[in-house]
Amino acid sequence: MSGGPVNPTASCVVIDGREMQPPEPLEKALAALDTLPADGELLMLLYCHPNPLFNILRNNGFVWQEDIRDDGTHEIRIRRA
Amino acid sequence: MHPNLSFEQAPPIGVPYRFFLTAPWFGVAAGLLLAVFGGEMLASRWTPGTLAATHLLVAGFMLQAMCGALMQFVPVAAGGNIWRPTWVAGAVHPLLIVAVSLLVAAFLSMHPPLFIAAAHVFLVTLAFFGVVVSLALWRTPARGATIMALRIALLGLLVTMGLGVTLATGLARGSDLPLLTLTDVHVGWGLGGWALMLLAGVSYFVVPMFQLTPAYPAWLARGLPVMLLLGLLAWSAQLAGLGENLRMGILLFGLAVGSAFAVGTLYLQSRRRRKVSDTTLLFFRTAMLCLLAIFLSGLLFAVRPDFWNDPRAAIWIGMLALVGVFVSAIQGMLYKIMPFLNWLHLQRLCGLNMLPPTMNQMIPERAMRRQYYMHLLGLALLLLAVWQPALARLAGLVFAIDCVWLGLNLLQAVRVYRRFKAELEHKTAAAV
Repeated sequence: MSGGPVNPTASCVVIDGREMQPPEPLEKALAALDTLPADGELLMLLYCHPNPLFNILRNNGFVWQEDIRDDGTHEIRIRRA
Repeated sequence: MHPNLSFEQAPPIGVPYRFFLTAPWFGVAAGLLLAVFGGEMLASRWTPGTLAATHLLVAGFMLQAMCGALMQFVPVAAGGNIWRPTWVAGAVHPLLIVAVSLLVAAFLSMHPPLFIAAAHVFLVTLAFFGVVVSLALWRTPARGATIMALRIALLGLLVTMGLGVTLATGLARGSDLPLLTLTDVHVGWGLGGWALMLLAGVSYFVVPMFQLTPAYPAWLARGLPVMLLLGLLAWSAQLAGLGENLRMGILLFGLAVGSAFAVGTLYLQSRRRRKVSDTTLLFFRTAMLCLLAIFLSGLLFAVRPDFWNDPRAAIWIGMLALVGVFVSAIQGMLYKIMPFLNWLHLQRLCGLNMLPPTMNQMIPERAMRRQYYMHLLGLALLLLAVWQPALARLAGLVFAIDCVWLGLNLLQAVRVYRRFKAELEHKTAAAV
């Protein structure tokens, strides 16, 4: 597996879903969002553009930023709006 | 990298499920037919029982599963809008059941009006289904090897149906056409142009996504549908007359193309990022090994024409193709697709308030794995029974049990879906 360092902070939860079968990353993301503190951040690493996750985030008051690394990893940082 | 999916376009869950839940029971019927008829059914591909059981598998088990998969796959993975999917599924699903039942009754009774009735129902149903899905596939802005393979597969389905209708009416009313040659062309388009083409197109998408493998190389993904189509056009030329050597050469070419897909898939699976073997992977590996075995058998038959002239050679190839390749691959796909669709539909209903059951709770891995071992036993017995007809009844019975077990496991997924949905509705009502 390649890609740059993630540097999670104390309030940052990281889910590396690159070696998980769908919908396991989404299952883990929903569980993490449920308990995400107001100032917390969820960082997801995936090999795809997760449309179902974005719909859930949009409908439940979250914002996100997506960056794509050279190795094709989608780095998605999610916070409460 | 995985392709993107657009679940907003997904049809209601009942659209694919009505096909998926019906498919296994045609397998049960085929197994029971073999259990009743016994070894005589495996003596030649032309016996009424063999023709009936073959069509229970191809036009019952496989066609149901593949039509259901297309109804789900075309909008979600290929971005094609299928016109009124609930209405289309509501018409096509029962009509296909009627068509297959009529055809099986026709083969078993050799009663001409039944052939005519089956031909008409197939013609209307598949022409309608073909046009609706083709329109969605031609209008989609998406491009790529999957779309190309799906479009050719639809063409393959329509050609297979056209030839099948010609054969059925020819059997009923008599015909000057070369029905045996026509049958070989019908089989080629059905297994190569429709079934394998569709399996390849869907695999380009689901194998990297669910089995966490690298993507299929572009030369293989794009080359396979083109080569297979060229092989089928050459194979169809036998209707105008072809020498036996040329015919065998074209057959081997087609089988070699199929084996390239098998080797490519097995290679990608060997490079998957997560080295856990789940049941879907095992079903898929079995399917690819059987596809390879068909090519090796073809090579053997080419160098030993005495084997090829044995009527059981065609039964051997048919058994490997139908039960070994397609039934195995479909069973593996169903075990991944149904829990996945359950999860997605339930998740959409509950938002973040409640988490749906996990994939493993939809159909437990242990239940799928045990059924896989039963499938392997059934496949082994069926292949042995080709050469040892005394095993035919046992093989038929075990294959029927294999398919009953599959059907029950799929129903388990539906029960989990319904139970959780009811629980959710109850909680929502209580909150109001």
